[in-house]
Amino acid sequence: MPSDSVSNHAPTPNQAAQPRRAPVDPRGPRFSAAITAVLLLVVIFLSLTGASVAALSLLAVLAVLFAWGAFAGVGRHPYGLLFKRFVRPRLAPPAELEDATPPTFAQGVGLFVSVIGVALGLFGLAPFVGIAAGLAFIAAFLNAVFDYCLGCQLYLLLVRARVLGRSPAAA
Amino acid sequence: MNPFGAALVLVALVAVATVLGLVYRSRQGLFRDVADDEATVLTPADVGSQVPFGAAATLVQFSTEFCSRCPGTHRLLTQIADGRPGVAHVDVDLTHRADLASRFGVLQTPTTLILDGAGRVHARVGGPPHRADVLRHLDHLAGPEPANFPTASHLPGSPHAQ
Repeated sequence: MPSDSVSNHAPTPNQAAQPRRAPVDPRGPRFSAAITAVLLLVVIFLSLTGASVAALSLLAVLAVLFAWGAFAGVGRHPYGLLFKRFVRPRLAPPAELEDATPPTFAQGVGLFVSVIGVALGLFGLAPFVGIAAGLAFIAAFLNAVFDYCLGCQLYLLLVRARVLGRSPAAA
Repeated sequence: MNPFGAALVLVALVAVATVLGLVYRSRQGLFRDVADDEATVLTPADVGSQVPFGAAATLVQFSTEFCSRCPGTHRLLTQIADGRPGVAHVDVDLTHRADLASRFGVLQTPTTLILDGAGRVHARVGGPPHRADVLRHLDHLAGPEPANFPTASHLPGSPHAQ
């Protein structure tokens, strides 16, 4: 019964106003998350061993990288370019492409967490640099290893709490 | 903290994250049967769909624009519905419908409801469903082959046997 299979994904007017991002190979964001997870472990290690300034600096660099992904899109992120240039040519073509919006939103979540860590670190609360890095590490690790996008799930909870996704016209 | 202690903390953190990931993975795509007495009967209007439900069964998928696994599930369920007469697939975008997300208690996407021909909710799946599980449930709803009844441990009981 082919005609019954439909999608309600037709863009509504307020969605149409947002620019659509080009689809990406789903393995790209996971590759980036793996690099991020390793760097976050370094932050935690530096923080634990008392190298507070180094930990804070590296987390600040990661925050900038998250911001890059969140605002320019994961496709234009340095890791995304690295993936496209060096990794993807060695892999089989992906089974399917994925919309860049979910991983881009997840980059925003990473930005939020790391900026809080950096801010608390600048206020002299050095342990929070490690704690923020730890939380971000868990998210990045789950994304890289288990293909679980915490930021994407968070989005739905925010929609439910009516923080996001409000339609100007009552649906 | 000395470097050795710090390394131990890192190992512990990786272990915790791995356990979280394994728990998550084991819970994905599990079917939960909805008991007869708490099963609600839905109409297309209830899920904001303008498309009629199937005469035999309907797969109602909840998605959002920010869901990385929804397109794959959409393709799978469309394919299944296309191959079975009387089975419809309806994909409901919750991105701008917080009311529906609350009403159906959707905490993750994709979440899929399996409805019988009358619109009664029979089962609910959190996460991407597996093809074999969906087919087994559809066999079950279509009825006549008791040999196809689900026997897997995560499908306790068969309250809808006909």
